This record gives sequence, structure tokens and C-alpha cells, in this order.
Amino acid sequence: MRKILRRSSALMVAVVAAGVWTSWLAMPAGADCEVKLGVMGPLSGAAAAWGSAMRIGAEFAVAEANKAGGVQVGAEKCRVSVTPYDSKYTADGAAAGANFLASQGVKFIIGPVGSPEATGIKPVAERNGQITFNSGYAKNAIEPRFPLAFHQLSGPSTWARPVAKAAKEKFGFKSIVVVAPNDQGGTDIASVDAEAYRAVGVKASEEYYQRGTSNFAPIVARILSSNPDAVDTASSPPADGATIAKQLREAGFDGPIGRLGGPGTPEIIRAVGGIDKLKNFYWLEIVPTDDPGVKSLWEDYKSLMGAPAPDNTLMATSVVASRMILKAITKAGTAADVKKVAEALRSLSVEDRNLGKGEWTGQTFYGINQEISLPVGMGMIVDGKHLGVRRIDTSGQ
Amino acid sequence: MDGFIAAGIIGIGLGAQYALLALGFTLIFGILGVVNFAHGGFYLVGGYIAYAMVGMAGWPYPAAVLVAILTTGALGYVVELLLVERLVNDELATMMLTLGLYLMMSTTVLVIFGPESPEFIFPVSGTLRGKGFYIPLANLVVLSVCVLAIGAVYLLMYRTGFGRALRALADDRTVAMAQGIRPRLLFPVAFALATALAALTGALVTPILTLSPHAGDAVLATSFMVVILGGLGSIVGATVAAFIVGLVEAYSSVYLGGSKGALALFVLVLFILVVRPSGLFGREVRGA
Repeated sequence: MRKILRRSSALMVAVVAAGVWTSWLAMPAGADCEVKLGVMGPLSGAAAAWGSAMRIGAEFAVAEANKAGGVQVGAEKCRVSVTPYDSKYTADGAAAGANFLASQGVKFIIGPVGSPEATGIKPVAERNGQITFNSGYAKNAIEPRFPLAFHQLSGPSTWARPVAKAAKEKFGFKSIVVVAPNDQGGTDIASVDAEAYRAVGVKASEEYYQRGTSNFAPIVARILSSNPDAVDTASSPPADGATIAKQLREAGFDGPIGRLGGPGTPEIIRAVGGIDKLKNFYWLEIVPTDDPGVKSLWEDYKSLMGAPAPDNTLMATSVVASRMILKAITKAGTAADVKKVAEALRSLSVEDRNLGKGEWTGQTFYGINQEISLPVGMGMIVDGKHLGVRRIDTSGQ
Repeated sequence: MDGFIAAGIIGIGLGAQYALLALGFTLIFGILGVVNFAHGGFYLVGGYIAYAMVGMAGWPYPAAVLVAILTTGALGYVVELLLVERLVNDELATMMLTLGLYLMMSTTVLVIFGPESPEFIFPVSGTLRGKGFYIPLANLVVLSVCVLAIGAVYLLMYRTGFGRALRALADDRTVAMAQGIRPRLLFPVAFALATALAALTGALVTPILTLSPHAGDAVLATSFMVVILGGLGSIVGATVAAFIVGLVEAYSSVYLGGSKGALALFVLVLFILVVRPSGLFGREVRGA
């Protein structure tokens, strides 16, 4: 027994020593204070690609800051660290994550990713005094009663109508079925998308499925029984979107398939077997990926981190949110007074060296002006040919 | 009427896939008395091995499926021999062990292959169309292989000495051991057989759907439901229940939609279990 205790103690000492050593290695020269950034999202399960992109974006922004000597907080430069948390795309996961991160002294959280997570984290983070920067498309992604909750990208209320209009003009469809999971992460987006299609003169209906469905053949048969001109996979996770698209084509559907929802089109194209199999496809890109500034973000990532970034565009909005938080800390001159940092954040102009100029929005739809609105893009594949991603003007939405 | 025929065909296809999955799950419970929560993990591993052989090593798909079956079967053999065997008489401990194994397998796949779905396409394309129905040729191939594999499992279990020995262990382990049947030799083989079936399903089905590191989650839930409905440990029950679940899922989803359809399926299962708590073909008490 004594031998086991002695070995365990030696092991613990070694682990602690290794931890101290790696922390010391990661610390910029001269830094004697630390700003902790939490990053939250699904790091496992169907939406793991989104959570990983969120984590990678925050890690890149932090590496950038540390390379420049750390973030300026008052008179000193502090190193920045990242603490990731897997909130599993669930409300309870995000709420538990907020508490865990609070226990680690984290006051600034990049994420969470999805609507259920955003719903779960808001009250807990507000109580803990934590700023969050979620990317959910929920109708209540941010609310006036939770002033510490920010939104890192514009939601369907901003881009759904112009993208629906452009898609209708290109493909000329008159009816569409919008298909999404039957929880808040699906219904809040699909209903806004459907409304946007109706607003531009397209007959739209909604079809929901149980999250976790893996074989969509029966759902596809149901969709096709209504004989729509087009189908939109909205905010379905990329793997679901790929299966739906694959099974629609197998069933003989040759109309356009859309995706006015979360990022993941490259994954869908790959999983379906290429753009020639998708034939006619259009999608929202949360950043205009063909813009030189956006492209250079991926190059910057590779050069700094030594490996290519994933092609999931949530990485880009996560970078912007992380950079904005760090700027706000510098402007506030404190990382301890969260309300002061939030105030500084609201007063910053939305501008990013890769993504360009944007604005704070959200007052009309959410009742609070805490949404970063940057240009979005719309991609199109027509008759198996990739037409690229063009910038979509969302001003005035 | 067109939708009715199409839904029926979809239901039979789903049923065959569920049957193949559930057979492995019920074999392990019937013979070892272990509820294998890692079953979805072996399905996942089978899918990813087949993908790695085709997409990375450039092997032909049938050879990749064979490699997936053999490798996953060998993995199952080792897992049973080194881990499950030690706790085989403790149902709760084996549940926790296999659940942990599943998490390890899905996380390992996530770390090695990343969170995004790779390009893994079934080599046969095209669709057979008739009045009011369509069958993708890939699904037809998968259905045929599933039916053949189910038949092979039946022959193995009911027409060979090996199958008789396994069934004897499932019926009454003590009496079987008194007859000279050695569980320590047969349990790893049975576990390997079950995991190989899961791998076969993974390698066959993931290219017609989408391969991703979470693909095992739904498999576990479906296998569990089918096996509970059929009666834990019953091979015939699992097969019949798989087709019932497949057909109910197809018809309810087509006519009621994805949300109400899922609800209808669970209500039906609940109703059957209220009427027959041991499942359609289950026994009141496991002999082993």
C-alpha cells in the first residue's frame, strides 16, 4: 500500500511539474499576468465540426496575441490562454460549461455554437458575470435581459431574405420544402428561412426530423410526395445535410438543393461525392470565402499554427469574436471588471483586418444591438459547376 | 398508393440493416449476458477501416469490407479476452466497461480522422425505378448482402456444432460447462462474431449514408430498441423486430413526418413491452 502511495505521489509531482513547464513554455517573454479565454461548443457528436472550428479560431487569435507579446491590460502585457469545453450542442452542457469555466476563472467565452447551447448558457453566464459570444441562430440568441451575451455573426433574420431572393432568381423555383431537426437549433432557423422564401414569392413548407436520424430515406420520400421545386436543408448538421442531399438525388430529385443555415458545405460536397453529384446547390457562407481578406485568414493560420485550418467558416467568426474581446479588454484597461469590458466592446467599431468592416446589429430583431454583422457570401453550384461565392449585401435587413 | 409501396421498400431496407446490427447485439447478450454498449463503436470502426482501405490505401471496396470485418472481429476477440472476460458475470460493470469503450472508440476516430465526414461513396450507383417506387442499386446490394449474412448467421447458429455450443451456453451456462463446453474459449469467438457483424454493417451502410465519428450513436439506440422489442437474447426476435421497426419507421415517417413518426415508433414499442414485457420472443428469465 505504501509503495502504491509513494508511486502515486511521484506520478502526481511529475504531472504537476509537466503542467508548470508547458505553461511556462507557452507564456510570452516578460508576461506575469494571464487573461483566460474560454471556448465552448460541441467537440463531439454530429456538430463537432462546428465546435472544433470555434475552438481553432479562438486558439489562432490567442496565438496571434501571444506572438505579439500578449494582450495589453492597463500598464502590463498579459499572456492569453484558451480553455476549451465540450458543451455537446445541449443547453445543459453549455450551462454546466459556464460554471466549469467560472471555476477556472474564465470570464470571457467564445461560443457556444448552437441555439440550444445559447439558451442554456445565457442565464448562467449572466449570473457568473461572464461575457459570451455565441453563434446560434435562435430567435432569442441574444436578449436585452442578458446584456453580457453577444452574437458573433448575423442570423437568418439578416441574410435569409437576400439569399432566398438570389436563389429564386437564379434557379426560378416556385415551391420549396425547408427541412431541419425538430429542436430549437432547427426550428428557429427553418421557420425564419421559410418566411424569407414566402416573402420573395416562393411557396414554402417546413419539414422537421428527430435529431440523431441517420437514414433519411423515409423523410425524403415524404418531401418528394409534395413535389417541391427545391429543398433547403437549413441548419441540419453537415452530415445530415449530406445524407439528405445524397438520398434526394438517388430518389430522382433534380431540383436545386439549398442550405440557408450553418457552415459545412465543403463537408457536404465531399460526403456526397463531389459537385457533379450535387448538380444544383446554393448555400449561405457566413463569410464571403472568395474575398482576398478572408482567404488570407486561412493562409495566416497555416503560417502561424503550422497546419492548415479546417474549411469550416465558423473558424473565421470565432477569430473575429476573439480579436474583438481582446481589443475590448485593452480598451477597458481591465480583464477583471467584466461590465467595463462589455461596455468597451459595445463602443468598438466592427472592423477586422481579414473580414473587413461591419456593424453592430440586432436592435430590430433581438431588441439589443450586440450582434456582429459582417458581409456574408452566397455560393452556387449550377449544373455541376462551382460558380464561386459572391458577397451578399445584407444592409437594411 | 405510390407512397405506400415506396415506404414499404424503404422499410424492408431499413429492417435488413437493423437486423444485421441487432443480431450481433443480441448474440452477445444471449451468450455472454453482456449488454454491449460498444456495439455502435464496432460499427463505426468497421466503417472507418473500410473507408481507410478504399480512400487512403486505394483498395477495392469488397476487399476493404473484408479487411474491416476481419480487423474489427479480431479487435472484438481481444476486447473480450482482455477486458470483458474479467467482468463477464457482473452485468453493471460490463455495461460501464462497454460504454467507456464506445466513448474511447468514437473519440479515437474523431482524433485520427477529424470531425468532418470524409468522401466515402458506395461503388455502385444508379437507381432502379418502377411505377410508384425506386430502389437505389447500392441499397439493393446492401439488402442482398444483409439477407445473405443473416442467413449465414442462422446456419452457423442452428446447423453447426459451434452454434449448438453457443446456444447451450446461452440456455444454461452451468449445464453447458458440465457437458464440457468451455466458455473461456467460446466467449471471445462469439464476441468476435458479433463485432464482425457490426463492422460488416458499418462498412456496407456508411457509404450509402454518411460516415462521421458520431455515426455509432444512432446505431446503439436502434440496436437496443430492436433487441428489447424482439426479446433480449433472441435471434429470431431480433430479426422480426428489426423488420417491424424498419417498416413502422418508414410508414410513420412518410405519413406522419419525422417528428411524429419517431414518436409513433416509440409508442408502439412501449405498447408491445407493456403487453409482453420480455419482448416478442424473449424468455421470462435468462438461463445463463
